[in-house]
Amino acid sequence: MKRKIFAVLFLLLAFCVQPLSQNGIKKKRPLPYEYGRVVIDNYSEKADIAPVVFEHWIHRSKFTCRVCHVDVGFAMKAGATGITATDNAHGYYCGTCHNGKTAFQSCTRKTSVEDMKTCQRCHSYGLRVASDYDFFKFSEPLPKERFGNGIDWEKSEQLRLIKPATFLEGVSTQRNPLAVQKDFSLNAKVEGMPDIIFSHKKHTVWNGCELCHPDIFVGVKRGTTHYTMVDISQGKSCGACHVTVAFPLTDCQRCHSKPV
Amino acid sequence: MIKGKLAVALLLIGSSGLYILPAIDAQEPSAPQAQTPRAGWQKEFDDVCSKTDDAMTFSQDELSDLVRRCDTLLPQIDKLDESRKKVYSGRLRMCRGLYAYVLEAKRNEKK
Repeated sequence: MKRKIFAVLFLLLAFCVQPLSQNGIKKKRPLPYEYGRVVIDNYSEKADIAPVVFEHWIHRSKFTCRVCHVDVGFAMKAGATGITATDNAHGYYCGTCHNGKTAFQSCTRKTSVEDMKTCQRCHSYGLRVASDYDFFKFSEPLPKERFGNGIDWEKSEQLRLIKPATFLEGVSTQRNPLAVQKDFSLNAKVEGMPDIIFSHKKHTVWNGCELCHPDIFVGVKRGTTHYTMVDISQGKSCGACHVTVAFPLTDCQRCHSKPV
Repeated sequence: MIKGKLAVALLLIGSSGLYILPAIDAQEPSAPQAQTPRAGWQKEFDDVCSKTDDAMTFSQDELSDLVRRCDTLLPQIDKLDESRKKVYSGRLRMCRGLYAYVLEAKRNEKK
């Protein structure tokens, strides 16, 4: 029992000290509607327009991760895609859906000053722009979770309360149903901490294989890659999603779930 | 005489348009991808990258062949306009990466 308490205290301390040790400022925990938000400013400010505020929660309720990060081609790191207005205008990246048909049109260099309101639907960083989507209204009927967006996304899909699309006509490639790999456990390094049960099924249903292998999980032989909570909290391996969009690291028991 | 010269000049201008317009069109970036008919390279891309979900079921020879097909496709994708090149080279890199990853895993299994 004492060992368990020690393990929990150790982890709590590690979580508090680690962000402080990087820049001396404790990171503010994002509010449920802010979790997963990405500010994109590759070219916006240079073009005298506000950076884009991308809300993951709206998009993940409509599409699986794979549709956007594999088929549409968005990078897994904020700003790494280098989206341009030209890309959008020709039907790539945001323009794949934001074409005036599937979703509202993305703005282009030709957008007139009168139409700036259209641009500001996305280019809204630092502006007071009323969104068409109300997070609280959206999340109200969905199963609750303690951290992140405060939404249990997995359960929401199981209950068919959200139906993220797995295929985008004209963009996605038609794939066969995925043969799911077996779940496996990973040893927790701290004594008393339950081992991790990694579910391939849970991950592949939204991500497929190529989103994680080999870019995020490089190691081929099981057991040869060593994961640490410090690395993960810095966005490596599991942290690529579980620091940014998927349920955060503070929700220990979601991963450390093997009965002791 | 002047009328004749004018007619020749107009004819030359008109016929030059036949060469210039397709050239402009060729430089024009891609139409929205969902509306574009599948070009040869894209059919091959769809075929190669549609197999990622089956990667674990392939033999080493089949995986090596898929990696080779990805490598053959890359120079064709590099010739595309900037937007398409950016999207498809990224997508190709991911599916090639997966096949190479599974191939390496299978080679290690046999050791």
